[in-house]
Amino acid sequence: MINIEKLTIAEIKKGYIDKKFTVIEIVSAYIDRIKRLDPKINAFITLCEEMALKEAAILDDKIENGEEIGQLGGIPVAIKDNICTKGIKTSCASKVLEDFIAPYDATVVKKLKDAGAIIIGKTNMDEFAMGSSTENSAFKITKNPWDLGKVPGGSSGGSAAALTAGFAPLTIGSDTGGSIRQPAAFCGNVGLKPTYGLVSRYGLIAFASSLDQIGPFTKDVRDCALSLEVLQGNDPLDATSVNDTATKDYLTDLDAGIEGLKIGVPKEFFQEGLDPEIDESIKGSIKKLKEMGATVEEFSLPITESGLSAYYIVSSAEASSNLARYDGVRYGYRAETFEGIEELIVNSRSEAFGKEAKRRIMLGTYVLSSGYYDAYYKKAMLLRKKIKNVFNEAFKRYDIILSPTSPILPFGIGEKTEDPLQMYLADIYTVNINIAGLPAISIPCGFSKSKLPIGVQLIGHHYAEKKLLQAAYNLEQSLGVYKDIPELKGVE
Amino acid sequence: MKITTETINYVAKLAKLKFTQQEADQFANEFEKIFTHFENLDKEDLTGIKLNEFNEVTSVLRKDEMKVFESKKELFQNVKKMRENHISIPKVIE
Repeated sequence: MINIEKLTIAEIKKGYIDKKFTVIEIVSAYIDRIKRLDPKINAFITLCEEMALKEAAILDDKIENGEEIGQLGGIPVAIKDNICTKGIKTSCASKVLEDFIAPYDATVVKKLKDAGAIIIGKTNMDEFAMGSSTENSAFKITKNPWDLGKVPGGSSGGSAAALTAGFAPLTIGSDTGGSIRQPAAFCGNVGLKPTYGLVSRYGLIAFASSLDQIGPFTKDVRDCALSLEVLQGNDPLDATSVNDTATKDYLTDLDAGIEGLKIGVPKEFFQEGLDPEIDESIKGSIKKLKEMGATVEEFSLPITESGLSAYYIVSSAEASSNLARYDGVRYGYRAETFEGIEELIVNSRSEAFGKEAKRRIMLGTYVLSSGYYDAYYKKAMLLRKKIKNVFNEAFKRYDIILSPTSPILPFGIGEKTEDPLQMYLADIYTVNINIAGLPAISIPCGFSKSKLPIGVQLIGHHYAEKKLLQAAYNLEQSLGVYKDIPELKGVE
Repeated sequence: MKITTETINYVAKLAKLKFTQQEADQFANEFEKIFTHFENLDKEDLTGIKLNEFNEVTSVLRKDEMKVFESKKELFQNVKKMRENHISIPKVIE
């Protein structure tokens, strides 16, 4: 039948209206494709075939009877495995939660289901979302569909790879320090981290609660805007979820044009360490934006490097606290041999947590321990406030801030696993956005000579997703690279 | 800055983790590099920044009301062992 790997959400929706295909046909086509190709990509931890086909049949009946099927009616969606899905294994790619079946749906999952979306599976990730390459999964290493020898980025690498490989037209990830945007850039997708508070975190298994935010991966910006309309909104179950936002409509005026849009480009994001091919590609995007009537100006945002330190201190501190609950007592992994409660906890945790999770727990415990709190955690929190102020000042002058998403191209599997600091430095352009709670989107803006995707990051002011998506849409349409999909050499 | 294996073992105790000598040595080594990098915080001027002043939107609180979780079976499906309506855990007091 049709080339499902190319279909956008909008195209599938139209296909249903025009009766070009049924929901069952679409869902089966994706499932077949996943079964055929995923053994070489490793994007999924769990496939929900039976459940998805059952839902599809219900929706086909509804269409048959002329009933409304919702904003995402019949759209297959893959969910990162740290987001709770009722009755489906939710493992966080960890041995700790290897057998954990979520007893309830996360709010975003409920919203997706209410909008008619069909959950097709759960995607691989770095254990507890800690990592930038999806190599920290306890179960499998996800490959980049553009080059199977490269990582897909992380931590939402499974969701990014699944989208790129054409396993679903919509996938959901979480972003604590770049975990949606960086894999989106590595895999050539559109990935959005919304403003902290716009999307409910209820049911997202916590890594760093003050930084975590859920967002979509899509093939284009229009699909991203549509998905955000479904995902966003106040949730009484999340006290950090915003009460009321300026708009809930992100689709209208998406193509309004960007004449007069003021864009700031922080010069600190273009210094040593940036890959020259990425630099060149980003400059191409800047040129396009200027041609479309935006004013682009270089400015200084002198918090980039120290912001990375603040991020790793704050996120690890919160992680050490959030992961303290995995003690082997009530649920989760329990060691087989132990004597007494202390050993039960120590053995269970030491046997089940992977290396990176342990590293973050240790870093976090260290910076919070007596005698070091003032030197690290407090300083990082003060800097966090400063970073927010610096961004607030910048947004008095600019509508959008533009930067590369990642300083480096997708790297080889195994290339950085032995050097955690090098791995952390790969997050330098994304972490400060989480520190400040801002929204940011990564869209594909070109390819390297070796045909690896490059992403450009657009950053907006708090709750200014509408403007951010408009800018991203216009840039995407003028660049045109978003339509490219990988050949999947060596897979098919 | 210098981080010793003893420090690592002390922090591991606080974090309820245990490591082999080799793992602890490796952590000490890595942490030394990571914390040396973190020293770039010291070049930031942080005077005048107040941690406990907020002018942003406030948290949205809901009423603290009890709700019954309908499906007990689903709620307890991840429990290692049940005895009647109770979660049964290993002996913790000698």
